[in-house]
Amino acid sequence: MDYRAQIGIRFITRRRGSLIAASLAVAIAILVVQVNSVIFQGLYDAIVRDQINYRFGHVYITRQEDFITKSDFMLVNWLERIPYVQAAAPRIDSAASINATIGGKIIRDYSVPVIGVDPVLDREASTMYQTVAPGGQYVSYRDSVVVGAIVDRDLGYPQVGDTIKLKFKDQFGQDILRRLTIVGITATAGSVGLDNSVIMNIDTLREILDRPHQTQSILVKLSDPTKDTDVKDLFLAAFPSNADKFKAQTIEESAEQTLSGFRSGIALINLVGYFGMMSSAFAVVTIQMMQVTSKTRDIGVMRAIGAKRKDVLLVFIFQGMVIGAIGAGLGTVMGVTYTAYAKETHMTFQGSLPLEVKYNWTSIMQTDIMAFVLAVIASIYPAYKATRLEPVEAMRVG
Amino acid sequence: MADYVLEVKNVDKVYGQGDTEVYALRNLSFSVKRGEFMLIVGSSGSGKSTLLNMIGLLDRPTRGKVIIDGIDTSELNDNELSTFRNSKLGFIFQFSNLLSDLTVLENVTLPRKIQGTIQNSADEAKTLLKTVGLENQMHKFGNQISGGQAQRVAITRALIAKPAIVLADEPTGNLDSVSAETTVQLLKSLNRKLYQTFIIVTHDRHQFGEVDKVVTIKDGRILKEEMEANLV
Repeated sequence: MDYRAQIGIRFITRRRGSLIAASLAVAIAILVVQVNSVIFQGLYDAIVRDQINYRFGHVYITRQEDFITKSDFMLVNWLERIPYVQAAAPRIDSAASINATIGGKIIRDYSVPVIGVDPVLDREASTMYQTVAPGGQYVSYRDSVVVGAIVDRDLGYPQVGDTIKLKFKDQFGQDILRRLTIVGITATAGSVGLDNSVIMNIDTLREILDRPHQTQSILVKLSDPTKDTDVKDLFLAAFPSNADKFKAQTIEESAEQTLSGFRSGIALINLVGYFGMMSSAFAVVTIQMMQVTSKTRDIGVMRAIGAKRKDVLLVFIFQGMVIGAIGAGLGTVMGVTYTAYAKETHMTFQGSLPLEVKYNWTSIMQTDIMAFVLAVIASIYPAYKATRLEPVEAMRVG
Repeated sequence: MADYVLEVKNVDKVYGQGDTEVYALRNLSFSVKRGEFMLIVGSSGSGKSTLLNMIGLLDRPTRGKVIIDGIDTSELNDNELSTFRNSKLGFIFQFSNLLSDLTVLENVTLPRKIQGTIQNSADEAKTLLKTVGLENQMHKFGNQISGGQAQRVAITRALIAKPAIVLADEPTGNLDSVSAETTVQLLKSLNRKLYQTFIIVTHDRHQFGEVDKVVTIKDGRILKEEMEANLV
């Protein structure tokens, strides 16, 4: 081993206090970045996951400014012939008004979103059916509804089997009053747009809105989500007609409005993490300066017996590399342990939305490398100060 | 022509400037032949350690020249001085100054590692350590051995790179009388055995008995320069 590396390693490893303090500073900085990643990236991924599972699928097909008039049966069959497509399901989004009780007061014509789903196809393309609380079931027969937990509360807690009256407006603006039977109540973690909605059979909704055979959107679930652009392009290439005016979007495009805000938030949080990392670099500078002070006599001796200034520099750079490597290793263990804990305990955000926790090894490696490089950079100034010591002065002071 | 390993010519060392100028050394000149055992003696503050720092190239003279092995060291830059110190000079300090984080063996081989001539250095170090009776201590750390032992390690470290001159600054100053006597005898025997030039700064001239040359310094000047023939 190079003697400068050997001395650097010995200097720091035989000063356990300094080594532990400096390595912990680096490790904690990595942990902060990891915790941020688990929570905020996990939250972002959870929102993406729920947007895919509940609202848009991996590819979301609509018709520009209007309903799709082509047969949903034909479109779904066409899509399901693509190898990457696992399932596709038609939907209609609408609204209805209810007489709700909010805060003890009856509020008339309280508007709620209504989602019309195909009882069979929707189970394949979406996991929305899984949000129905135990004791209920997903929409099955034509006049059945599943109400969201918030709507259920606002309606005064009707139970499964009760009926509710919803007032719709058809496509011509005519009020349509419909009594429907509650077959289930959803309890969506994080209330991703479903707990304040009502889910009903798409055919019933078509009939109410006077839009026979029409569909508002088709959500497509893929077996390989990385092929979303391919599927989108295939679909648009297959249905290029101006009359159809189809619009196909990947999840990044369809949920852009929701996700863009989060992306900025995550960037900001990451910035905070990196500031934490800068703080750890200052801790390394301080500890390395203390090391230089405590090793002044040794530096003087080394210089006296022939070590050049650059040799002294390298001793402290190697020392920084040891701190960086141990800190990065420790930080990785702490970060991965936290990630494993978050994954195993199905960590939720504010007790509701389950985070989508992943082992992002690329991010972990990047953070480690950055922490290691910062520890080395933080050692440059103390190392430079060490090289400025004159042998006679150093031996006298030390 | 005499084989001089060291020539000190008209060396001044001045600290401060103008009114605050203080001469630590004033117009010092002497020379040392290869293989000589020389003492620099003087009372505290006489300038003997400053002189040793000049000879050891740890500090530069304000004026004058220090020529070692025929090379005018005033011409050398910082890196060249380091290389020169490593190859031509061996140092023994008052407080042994071993690196406490290295073992005895690692301390001894350090000058050779710096030099980049590590081949056989461990074997040579072991032989030297055996010569000074420390073959059983070589894997201990610098702070795990006694002061006398540490000084003997420092002597082997000074010799490992086969320097032209070994410089010792009060090598017995921090030792008890028994260790001091052992160290003196060791230095003198190595001088005879290896034909190694030793320049030793001491305030206790009598501790060293017969030597080849004694330079007495007072107030930064040479008070007396005695050769072997004049020494009792």
